[in-house]
Amino acid sequence: MGLVFTRLFSSLFGNKEARILVLGLDNAGKTTILYRLQMGEVVSTIPTIGFNVETVQYNNIKFQVWDLGGQTSIRPYWRCYFPNTQAIIYVVDSSDTERLVIAKEEFHAILEEEELKGAVVLIFANKQDLPGALDDAAVTESLELHKIKNRQWSIFKTSAIKGEGLFEGLDWLSNTLKSGGG
Amino acid sequence: MFSLFYGLWKYLVSKTEFHVLILGIDKAGKTTLLEKLKTQYSSLEGLPPDRIVPTVGLNIGRIETSNTKLVFWDLGGQSGLRSIWEKYYEEAHAVIFVVDASCPSRFEDSKSALEKVLRHEDLQGAPLLILANKQDLADAVSAEELAQYLDLKKLDERAYTFEAVSGYDGTGITETVNWLVDVMERSKRTEMLRVRAGVANSSGA
Repeated sequence: MGLVFTRLFSSLFGNKEARILVLGLDNAGKTTILYRLQMGEVVSTIPTIGFNVETVQYNNIKFQVWDLGGQTSIRPYWRCYFPNTQAIIYVVDSSDTERLVIAKEEFHAILEEEELKGAVVLIFANKQDLPGALDDAAVTESLELHKIKNRQWSIFKTSAIKGEGLFEGLDWLSNTLKSGGG
Repeated sequence: MFSLFYGLWKYLVSKTEFHVLILGIDKAGKTTLLEKLKTQYSSLEGLPPDRIVPTVGLNIGRIETSNTKLVFWDLGGQSGLRSIWEKYYEEAHAVIFVVDASCPSRFEDSKSALEKVLRHEDLQGAPLLILANKQDLADAVSAEELAQYLDLKKLDERAYTFEAVSGYDGTGITETVNWLVDVMERSKRTEMLRVRAGVANSSGA
């Protein structure tokens, strides 16, 4: 599976530097997903500017991960990571129904960012292995995904722990970017 | 004062942008159609049919004809996902409803989904194009036969037509786009959406 992904992405961006942001609230499962994809070593940066960014460099593609929510004072620094972003992977803990409202607000706030206007959006409704996890239709509703009208989006049910749904989602992502993106 | 003239100038030189919804039940061929539209009308090479996976969200296609821009919104058709369709109605200038013409066992499902679409007040007066898709398959019924199967009532209040197409080989695609552009340019709904957008802009300024 990892190999399929390797081929998928190696042909995708050519020599261009590209960035994929993996975002979501804390404990959504973002880092687990990166480990699951087995693309390389996950490196945590030392939080010199106040927040922790994990990076996986894969050929020319940088996957960068950080938690949304919390401290507002450090948010301006997020923008350092926005240029050349082709896609956003938004990870949601589908079983954490209490925090879905916050997940929704953070999500739409990030989509407002000027430098991210062209990025396509892949949503992982994660933790499907947990009891009480909402399905893709319910997460779609909770996150108000219908408000997205000028870029492509898709949602996939995933379980990062079991490794389910991740490659289907990335397959969509690579197809979408190939056929011209948003 | 400048902004007034600038606004007027922009209004005069800009091409009208139309939003067209592509709806239909799952496996009708909506995304294949969208990719064909992209291939035929834009510089982008659309995805080949064998690369297309079921849509669980929104695909977008932007094309330009001689004097208009079209933005297609292709929404997933699985029954659990149809609830989001209506969230896109308000801003849509027209609707394409895609039916797999080679699969009569699902005509009933298509009919009820389409009737629900037509009943929605946010789509009042929106031109409707019903596509008898998959004409590349030998057992596909014609547009006329599909019209009989669906037996739709209350269509008279809007511009509508049936067209036989194939998103796979491109049959009927040009006719489809021509009909849409022609009808949307003259439709009252277009006028209504333009007025509403104008009001929204001036109140926002």
